[in-house]
Amino acid sequence: MKYIGKKILTMLLTLLLVSFLVFLCFTVIPGDPAVAKLGTDATPEGIEMLREEMGLNRPFFVRYADWLFSMLRGDLGRSYSYEKTVGELLADKIPITAAMSLMSMVWIVLTSIPLGLYAARHEGGAIDRAIYALDQVLMAVPAFFAGILITLVFGIAFRLFVPGGYVSYNKDLGGFLYYMIFPSLSIALPKAAMTVKLLRSALIGEKKQDYARTAYSRGNSTKGVLYRHLLKNAMLPLITFLGMSFTDIMAGSIVVEQVFGIPGIGRILLTSISQRDYPVVMGVIVGLASVVILVNGLVDILYQLLDPRIRIGGK
Amino acid sequence: MMGAETVKKKMNFNLLAGAVLTGGMLLWIAVGFFYLPYDPEAMSLELKFAGMSLSHPFGCDNYGRDIFTRVMVGARTTLAVALGTVGIGAGIGTLVGAVTGYFGGWLDEVLMRVIDALFAFPSILLALVVISLLGSGKYHVIWALGIAFIPSFARVVRSQYLLLREMDYVKNARILGCGHFRIMFVHILPNTLGVLVPTLMIGFNNAVLAEAGMSYLGIGVQPPDASLGRMLSEAQTYLFTQPIYAIFPGLAIVVLVLGLSLLADGLEAAR
Repeated sequence: MKYIGKKILTMLLTLLLVSFLVFLCFTVIPGDPAVAKLGTDATPEGIEMLREEMGLNRPFFVRYADWLFSMLRGDLGRSYSYEKTVGELLADKIPITAAMSLMSMVWIVLTSIPLGLYAARHEGGAIDRAIYALDQVLMAVPAFFAGILITLVFGIAFRLFVPGGYVSYNKDLGGFLYYMIFPSLSIALPKAAMTVKLLRSALIGEKKQDYARTAYSRGNSTKGVLYRHLLKNAMLPLITFLGMSFTDIMAGSIVVEQVFGIPGIGRILLTSISQRDYPVVMGVIVGLASVVILVNGLVDILYQLLDPRIRIGGK
Repeated sequence: MMGAETVKKKMNFNLLAGAVLTGGMLLWIAVGFFYLPYDPEAMSLELKFAGMSLSHPFGCDNYGRDIFTRVMVGARTTLAVALGTVGIGAGIGTLVGAVTGYFGGWLDEVLMRVIDALFAFPSILLALVVISLLGSGKYHVIWALGIAFIPSFARVVRSQYLLLREMDYVKNARILGCGHFRIMFVHILPNTLGVLVPTLMIGFNNAVLAEAGMSYLGIGVQPPDASLGRMLSEAQTYLFTQPIYAIFPGLAIVVLVLGLSLLADGLEAAR
């Protein structure tokens, strides 16, 4: 329990630091937002008035505290370029990116665990070597190139979906989920390859442990030892890896959204960057970083709860 | 059970295949400095979407430019950006990791908290932050990605310094009167290479993938510079009319990354 409390405290501290760094970067470096809003031909009086109105004349730490507390209340400020609050702007985009990331995670787990188990059981066999070769190649394919190849094969050659024909989830949930299969698969492919490789080597590592030999010598079948003993232990590095992969999946979704023409978080982030719409950029960045910190923190805590060696021994 | 020899044979295959792919790719890029089959910017109306032929092995793009030449030049840009990125990331990361790991104390606490906070960002997201502040362009991408790569190097190097600073040879060097700076970089640094070199190779691959991703998004290398990611985003518009345009720049990325990751695997097995 002490560990969990400490972990949560560190997570909060990291979140605070992230928000501070983001605020620092986006208020110090880009220059005066009042000038940016009014354009270069604004009068000094006009700029001064707007600065007062936007609260830019207050000390730095007051502004940071103000921004932080309004963010905690769920108020992310107003977009410069759209007549909307950042919250409104992002609200209908979050489900898209979330659905895509979760679906990729499901693909990774569904494909990598059976393949990893199979490869470890038939270590050195022809299929194991084929899986290894395929893994190596897929790991080198960037997610967006996988997306282009999937568009070519499934979209253009087999006509299973219309490239760029995104269906909104409010209109047709089934159609939305069907369209999401292809981008989520592109994100999952390289990650699944890495996961298979990791699970296979973790299982093979466990196979050489004394407890595995004991289990064999007690007359257990290869299959029984693999599923009942080895998998349990190999799950631990797997969970850590999947937690870390979640970061890459979200980052990958920013790029893959562009391949499939999906108006998610990635699209709004990129347009906001090119329009220098900093409140939106800050909202997205802090939001994504918070998800990453939370997921990684939860994985660490889960790891504690699952592994009795750490639960009892480590203080 | 698989014999030790088969394992070794397979790993040597990795080393060989990795060396061949990486060497071939580097040679191909190096040739581009002295000889290019065509001018990479030369446009031609008749050659628009020309298919694969002996004179244009990869075909031609929407402006009738030779794709083979452009992949050659694009791979060079991608390689240069990746090298710059790893240079900045590994240089600053090693310095931060060495100082924090060697000295410890409050400096370590403060710097590592910042590094941990940066680590919470996926590197492409961190690079996007830097790009949104600096603006896009080749050199900005190198800085953006370089900064994004600092945390991973800093963490690896720090953990090594934490271990190695307790070694007897470090204590002996202290007794002999060596300064901290000399111990850190002359005595300890060479001993971290076993861990640092694989990290560099993985970092290089991640840099290639990140650069391609950023240029694909249109915020990395800007035209007229050719870059593999940039070419892919152009190619995507013409996926229906000229599918091979997308294949070759993508394959170049795959071969570059695959070669180095096989080489890294092979080297690790050979040790």
